[in-house]
Amino acid sequence: MEYALFLGCTVPARARNYELSTRRVAEALGIRLVDLDGSVCCGFPIKSVHYESFLLTAARNLILAEEKGLDICALCSACTSVLTEVNKELGENEELRKKVLRKLGIRKKFRFSNSIRVKHFARILYEDVGIDKIKSKIQKDLEPLKISAHYGCHYLKPSDIYDNFDNAEHPKSLDELIETTGAVPVDYENKNLCCGAGTLAMDENISFSMANKKLRSIKDAGADAISLICPFCSVMYDNNQPTIESKFSEEYNLPVLYYPQLLGLALGMNKKELGFNMNRVKVAPLLEKLKQ
Amino acid sequence: MASILIVDDESVVCKSCEKILKPKGHEVDSALSGQEALGEIEKKRYDVVITDLKMPGIDGMKLLNIVKEKYEEVDVIMITGYASIDTAVEAMKLGAFDYIPKPFTPEELRSVTVRALERRRLLKEEREKASRTYVRFEYTMPDNLYYLPEHAWVKLEEDGNVTAGVDDVFQKSVGEIINVKLPDVGNEVEQGNLCVEIEDSSRRIHKLWSPISGEVIEINHKLTENPSIVNNDPYEAGWIMRVAPSQLESELKNLIYGEALIKWWLKREVIEKRDDKYLQVSALDPKFKHEIAKQPGGENIKVCFGCGICTASCPVREIDETYNPRKIIRMALLGMRDAVLKSDFIWLCSTCYTCTERCPQGVRFTDVINAIKNIAAEEGYIHPALRMQAELLEKEGRLYEIGDFDNKKREKLGLPRVHSEKNVISEIFKVSGFKEIMEKKA
Ligand code: SF4
Ligand code: SF4
Repeated sequence: MEYALFLGCTVPARARNYELSTRRVAEALGIRLVDLDGSVCCGFPIKSVHYESFLLTAARNLILAEEKGLDICALCSACTSVLTEVNKELGENEELRKKVLRKLGIRKKFRFSNSIRVKHFARILYEDVGIDKIKSKIQKDLEPLKISAHYGCHYLKPSDIYDNFDNAEHPKSLDELIETTGAVPVDYENKNLCCGAGTLAMDENISFSMANKKLRSIKDAGADAISLICPFCSVMYDNNQPTIESKFSEEYNLPVLYYPQLLGLALGMNKKELGFNMNRVKVAPLLEKLKQ
Repeated sequence: MASILIVDDESVVCKSCEKILKPKGHEVDSALSGQEALGEIEKKRYDVVITDLKMPGIDGMKLLNIVKEKYEEVDVIMITGYASIDTAVEAMKLGAFDYIPKPFTPEELRSVTVRALERRRLLKEEREKASRTYVRFEYTMPDNLYYLPEHAWVKLEEDGNVTAGVDDVFQKSVGEIINVKLPDVGNEVEQGNLCVEIEDSSRRIHKLWSPISGEVIEINHKLTENPSIVNNDPYEAGWIMRVAPSQLESELKNLIYGEALIKWWLKREVIEKRDDKYLQVSALDPKFKHEIAKQPGGENIKVCFGCGICTASCPVREIDETYNPRKIIRMALLGMRDAVLKSDFIWLCSTCYTCTERCPQGVRFTDVINAIKNIAAEEGYIHPALRMQAELLEKEGRLYEIGDFDNKKREKLGLPRVHSEKNVISEIFKVSGFKEIMEKKA
């Protein structure tokens, strides 16, 4: 199993714990990740201001993977969503495909979705590796932990680009992945609520209120921690948790783990290998609970 | 505190109204005829005129007409006998804020006055805040409904029955709703007569007149448990009752349908001579919707039928009411090009795609708002945060520069070095023409 690893902008700079744990987990499960050298930003930040630039940027990244003949594995849900969207669009629309290649000054033929696929790492775990195989590798049962899944929006939506691999309104794939580690998935109100990161640069009050709502629901549901799969969501719930706590006079102390960090624990990896020291909200109480 | 004029040919009624409203700090005057009232209004600007419907000479209807023509900003409340409910409903279509049937209790008079004043306050506040423009009722009202204006709505269902609820003006002027007293299934309701009592957070009871006659066949039980649904989603989840209508055809004529309601509002705007910051019909650009439809993802905007599901499911709107997807589409379809492109709110979407997933018409609102932002950018309005990101991408090829220091950190963790492709995106910006757009100033 081999993929071109598309890191995007945020992961290598701001979410090295995510990157580290992903690489470790992939290795342990026999997934080969080949770094996609020469890639740039996925294009997401320019979609709202200049569609054509967005299209060209995303296409440029997809081409790199097609040259290697590898499907893309992305870690950030926004990257996954825009690369999937553009891959599909350019695969299906020949005229647009030609125009894009021409504008990029590329003579060679590329076939986009007719040749390669784009998948989020969590989807690869769920679909390509599969629950059974993961289960067979588990060394430590995380049973004492109660974990709430946060899917994030772009992992599942817009659903028409994702061939319905999960249900956008009632998702279950991440809960199943959590269950595989032995931990107990905890449902909560507002499960599909957006983290708010998309509005952070425009109006932080809106973003923080959104994130606060979810933190409150998860706390009320009695979870020990959140597990998620997107660096933007993590910025909201982990990095900004202290700010949100003081702004809304709340106390959550809810550790936020990238799913590969959680899975890594179950695969018997230690906290250093999983980069727990880079999580903003202390993970130590969780590890304590596991020891008991 | 407000200035209120009571008009009734019976001086006892005037006196008792004064007695009810004065202790609330209002300035209350009386007039014993329509003629006298006009003289008073000429001299003094009243906020609210409360007038009897039946009077010799200039009656309540005539007075309403004259006041609405000359002083649109004055709110008129009609006092009516049971026998004249039809006329009262008609008065609402002509611009009366509400009516109150005789005999009424002090509390009933106070409640309707409070709502009239709250609506005035909301409109005034909205007008004064330039940056929060267009928190306007008319743009939030679905256009597939019939309205008893500023009060209730009716929706025709495919099975021949109708659903009814309260509109945004009613809901907002009441404020936080803490209790909804619903009719019983099997009850008969009559157009213009009481169907529901709504309690606000100061325990005041507000009466809702039924927009339609017939037998109640279903009520929205969810409202008993959680009445605030009416505040959050008055046109969908906050519906009140379903009715098997008895005189549908003739009664619909007493209501205003969808788009006509917008015109109804626009006419009031023009009469009020609000400055053009608000809305001039002449400033509408009917081509705007085609412009949006040409952008990728914007294609479907024209099939929006204004159901408001996008708004009801939007997490941003739940926190900030100035952001309202349905309203943005409505403004776009109306051709309010400038107002939309220059607004602050178009930048607030957090791209969660919930609206796009749920729209029954297949409108991809998340893409529509992107299309709108693309047009705004072409005109030189790019949100500063997005401009900054674009500039970084142009320079670095990525949002966060990864220098030597970062790469050392990465190596320590056993992660490979990351190189920045500095020219790729800047080249793309050149061939796509975005470079030029970025240099444009609004
Ligand atoms: S965009 Fe769709 S959901 Fe929103 S008002 Fe229009 S039809 Fe309804
Ligand atoms: S995509 Fe934007 S407009 Fe649509 S529901 Fe989400 S935040 Fe609201």
